[in-house]
Amino acid sequence: MIATLVCLLVMWVWHLLTPYWWGVMLFPFAYGAGLAKTGGKAIRTGLLSAGILWLGASLYFYFSGSGIIASRMAGMFGLGRPGLMIAATALVAAVAAGLSGYAGYAVGVLFRKPAKRTDTEERS
Amino acid sequence: MRWIRAIVTLLFVAAAFWALDNRHGTFPALGRLLDPFTGFWQNGERSDAVPGNLVLPGLRAEVRIAWDDRHVPHIFAANEHDLFLTQGYVAAALRLWQMDFQSLYTAGRIAEVVGPAALRQDIFTRRFGLPWAAANTVRALRDDAETKEALEAFSAGVNARIADLGRKGLPVEFKILDYRPEPWTDYKSALLLKAMAYALTAFNQDAAMTRMRDRGGAWSEAVSSLFPDFAPLVDPVIPPGTPLDFTPVAVPAPPVAGTPSAGAAARTGVASTDAACDAPAPQGPFGPPGLLARPELGSNNWAVSGRLTKDGFPILCNDMHLELSFPAVWYEVQLSAPGMNVRGVSFPAAPLVVAGYNADIAWGFTNGTDDVLDWYAIEFKDGTHAEYRQAGAWRKASVREETFKVRGGRTFVDRVVITHHGPIVRWPDEPAFAAMDVRAGAALRWLGHDVSNEFTTLRALSRARNYGDYVAALENWSCPGQNFIFAGREGTIALWHNGRFPLRWKGQGRFVMDGADPANEWQGWIPHAQIPHVRDPERGFVSSANQAPVDESYPYYLGWDYASFERGARINEILRAARAVTPEDMVRMQTDVLDIRARAVLPRLLEIIGPRATSDAERRCLEELRAWNLEVRAGAVAPTVFNELWSELNRLTWDDETTDETGRMPRPASQVMIDQVLGHPAAAWFDDKRTDGAVETLDGIAADAFRSAVANLEKRLGPFGEAWHWGKAKGTVIRHLARIPAFGRKVEADGTGHVIDAISAVWAPSWRMVVELGPEVRAWGNYPGGQSGNPGSRFYEDRVEDWAAGRPYELVFLKSADEPHPRVVGRTVMRGRR
Repeated sequence: MIATLVCLLVMWVWHLLTPYWWGVMLFPFAYGAGLAKTGGKAIRTGLLSAGILWLGASLYFYFSGSGIIASRMAGMFGLGRPGLMIAATALVAAVAAGLSGYAGYAVGVLFRKPAKRTDTEERS
Repeated sequence: MRWIRAIVTLLFVAAAFWALDNRHGTFPALGRLLDPFTGFWQNGERSDAVPGNLVLPGLRAEVRIAWDDRHVPHIFAANEHDLFLTQGYVAAALRLWQMDFQSLYTAGRIAEVVGPAALRQDIFTRRFGLPWAAANTVRALRDDAETKEALEAFSAGVNARIADLGRKGLPVEFKILDYRPEPWTDYKSALLLKAMAYALTAFNQDAAMTRMRDRGGAWSEAVSSLFPDFAPLVDPVIPPGTPLDFTPVAVPAPPVAGTPSAGAAARTGVASTDAACDAPAPQGPFGPPGLLARPELGSNNWAVSGRLTKDGFPILCNDMHLELSFPAVWYEVQLSAPGMNVRGVSFPAAPLVVAGYNADIAWGFTNGTDDVLDWYAIEFKDGTHAEYRQAGAWRKASVREETFKVRGGRTFVDRVVITHHGPIVRWPDEPAFAAMDVRAGAALRWLGHDVSNEFTTLRALSRARNYGDYVAALENWSCPGQNFIFAGREGTIALWHNGRFPLRWKGQGRFVMDGADPANEWQGWIPHAQIPHVRDPERGFVSSANQAPVDESYPYYLGWDYASFERGARINEILRAARAVTPEDMVRMQTDVLDIRARAVLPRLLEIIGPRATSDAERRCLEELRAWNLEVRAGAVAPTVFNELWSELNRLTWDDETTDETGRMPRPASQVMIDQVLGHPAAAWFDDKRTDGAVETLDGIAADAFRSAVANLEKRLGPFGEAWHWGKAKGTVIRHLARIPAFGRKVEADGTGHVIDAISAVWAPSWRMVVELGPEVRAWGNYPGGQSGNPGSRFYEDRVEDWAAGRPYELVFLKSADEPHPRVVGRTVMRGRR
């Protein structure tokens, strides 16, 4: 939970300081590679942190003036309702971050010492 | 195993990153677009509040902007430099993507943004020479110190706005199409001039007319009888009987040989390889330059003398018809600096006001529609196209290399061959262009290629105080030729059919001409004082609706392919009967929908089809037509039926006539068709060439047309019912420039292209304006769209419903920046530094 929160906050700061969307892939990857104890946790942390961040942000913008543009974008994507743009935003971030977290974990375990203990933990 | 897992998952992540970070065909880069911190979510507008203070580098003094409740900026500056700097900034704040996209389109660079699908259109644009013309023009613009300063300041303002935008501030279309705006330059403003010149003067039927003439016999005769220089029913712009106030100059002599261009065509072999098409309805996938002003799609303007108005003040009215689009073609602005306080509409891509008024005068436009575009058949010495025949000798052609950087595709280089006439637009071994019926191998001569500075006219009109200033302002205007309408507070009304017009021999340019014969070339210009004009005519009004400007008494040939008679005749009919006119009357008149085409021809058609209606649907349609009050209302069925009947009558009459194996004959104008229906019911044109032995006349064709029309409507709209209402059947749609469906909208509105309220499917009044020039000028106006180009703004389309219903807004016109006004809702102060 703490990892999710920290990851979310770091990504938030990243978004405020840089124009690059792929912070939501970078930090879950880094967390998965360096800190996640299991692949499942890496996925969950990425998925939740990025999903919640983009969900919360899009909800905030939706209710503070972006309703019209969300409706038009929903129309452009054939989604019909603007609420689905919020869902799509959260989903894209969550899936990309979850996948990235797991990839980070899969790469990280190659370099961890002792590798064996990590494997055991993963099985448990 | 772990290595394999790591590699596989990394590949997945890389694929996901690639998929989300790149555009795929027309599908946007989702990661960047959905990012709530920089993507489309940032394109909402949190409130209608305008910024209180802004820093605009380069300002020499403080600039104040008052914003009215329609989001119109009223800009007050201490000098013109600051005025245009601020206008550039404000235009970009409202419409940056539109400006950038239109400039790319006119520069023939749209494939850089949308990919290979747009390459053919880009090739046409570059061959036709729009960017070349703009590059030539911008040099002339820089030669005039005031224009240079205005354009440079305007560009600096646009660039200041671009600099203010990070990725998240970019208009949403940049994010969807995934590119960034380029720095603005005076060249891009010049491109706008050429885009308008193209849209308003490039429509031509020269290739089709040449095919008809070259076929000989009855076809040659039909060119003059069906496509005459002076058509029946047309009430010309300059009132017949207006005395000439000049002594005409001599007109050049036509070539001595019979039909030299036919001979040249035979020599070059271009006619046989010209895969002709019947002047296709020009259309492009994006943007205005793809859509040409066909003569029947035009504009209206009129000015009424104080003698005919209730309060004794002149009233000027103008509605300019262009392709409906989001963002809207125009935006409203008031510009004030010492010596200038002008209000009206402008194109976002250029400084100044294009059509509008100040405290003393008002002016507006309709397209002149004259022939300023000719084609010359060229005989090249050999396949290298290095030399061509001219005046009995071989002359060297030049070559311009055009490079196309196609997004997601190869870089492509096209060699444009240029003669002294102009460029070769299409070669015999090339397919036709969707944008224009181009005679293969012919060289283009187009007035828009000539150097000119139309900005000086607009600047002078902004400052004009009286009729003399107005006439002086017009002299520099070259292309597109326009019916400049004028009314002054002093009481004068006037109309100059203004532009640069080649001094032609009669009929010159109607056909593709022999490029080797100098007698076919333009050999001078009609002196400006001798172009068609009228001031304070006896009838008390001046008007135009793109119809022929003059009758046969005018000494010069200007062209033949003008708008059909209806709008012009209807305007004059109303104004001839008008007394004690009020601005409210004029507002209503701008949405007049009486169909005088139907009035002329429907009684005769009803006589024919009345006894022949058999099916239930045919009888109901007949009842609708009989009960019709001739008003083209959205809620009526009769206009739908009449429109389809007219279309089928024309199709069955003309489309069986072919000029050669591949080309159909162009359809004559409506007044010619009406003349045939009423005066020549047994004309050979009504005979269906596809029926062996039988000889059809009007009666048979009209009955067939009615049956076919009703069948078409049933097939297209379903059973007779609400879907047949004109507003629905017409299908008016305002499309987004990039054709993003959810960024456009449908509109149900009265009107059609040939009534005064000319709202057709995609072409409509782009700005309606009524100005009363009393001691305090008052004006009303509206346009289809909104001030903002941002689809996420409530000002994107807030005017559409009122526009469709013909409800204009009274225009706020301030005397000073700080003038209290109940409709001013915000004020911005701009300074050069903090």
